[in-house]
Amino acid sequence: MPMGKAYSLEKDVLVIHRELTQLDLFVRDFVEVLRKHIAYLIVSGFVSIAAGRSRGTEDVDVLIPAVDSATFTLLFEELSGRGFWCYQGDTAKGVYPYIQELAHIRFARANQVFPNVECIPITSEKKAQYFEFRHPQKMRIKDFEFNIPPLEFEILYKEIILGGEKDLADAKHLRTVFSDILKRERFKEFEPVVRSHGH
Amino acid sequence: MAIDYVVYYAEKLKRNPDIFVQQKELIESQMQSSAAFFSGLFGKDFKAEARAYLREVGLL
Repeated sequence: MPMGKAYSLEKDVLVIHRELTQLDLFVRDFVEVLRKHIAYLIVSGFVSIAAGRSRGTEDVDVLIPAVDSATFTLLFEELSGRGFWCYQGDTAKGVYPYIQELAHIRFARANQVFPNVECIPITSEKKAQYFEFRHPQKMRIKDFEFNIPPLEFEILYKEIILGGEKDLADAKHLRTVFSDILKRERFKEFEPVVRSHGH
Repeated sequence: MAIDYVVYYAEKLKRNPDIFVQQKELIESQMQSSAAFFSGLFGKDFKAEARAYLREVGLL
């Protein structure tokens, strides 16, 4: 590991040179279950925080495919068995209609409310989200490796679609920290995709 | 000219990963405060009371 640098790129994996936080451990425990059943993509605030942005968060946003009922049931039951509870209900049967309607569902650790993982079901009809979902970038902190969007996509999404004060600061943080590896041509490539959000 | 603290902090962090230690302290302090607050807020039927609270704040 090179000294004096916050991150390195190792075989296309973005390695962040820091210790795991309790927030990372929460997300790691959730993702360990998630990845056994379905593909996923961690987006938004946690990406910036993982890269050192100094702010807290209550929600960790994760894109998931709108899976079939049987797959969802296995996932839900394993999450429940591993100590997560779902805001929306206690049974897979009761919560699955949310997935069918592409509504968000949230999970937290037993006897806690925050932080929570907000699962955002997507289909190919959500063009921008489906694009980032199919082009994951790997990030690693210690032994926790997880999928995030391409950095340029994440920055543009925060700047163009989200646009709130917190989002713009997150984007600025990512632009500054990763200025050595961000690619202008990828910004050009991704911008029309990001702007297709909602279409 | 005013300092852009987001850029200032990110530039510092880029060259000095020791700053991650401060970030870890901040994140964990917030998580501990939140856990302490909610553990005292709800009684025995945690989920039912938590869901009522979440409905009140528009998260459910």
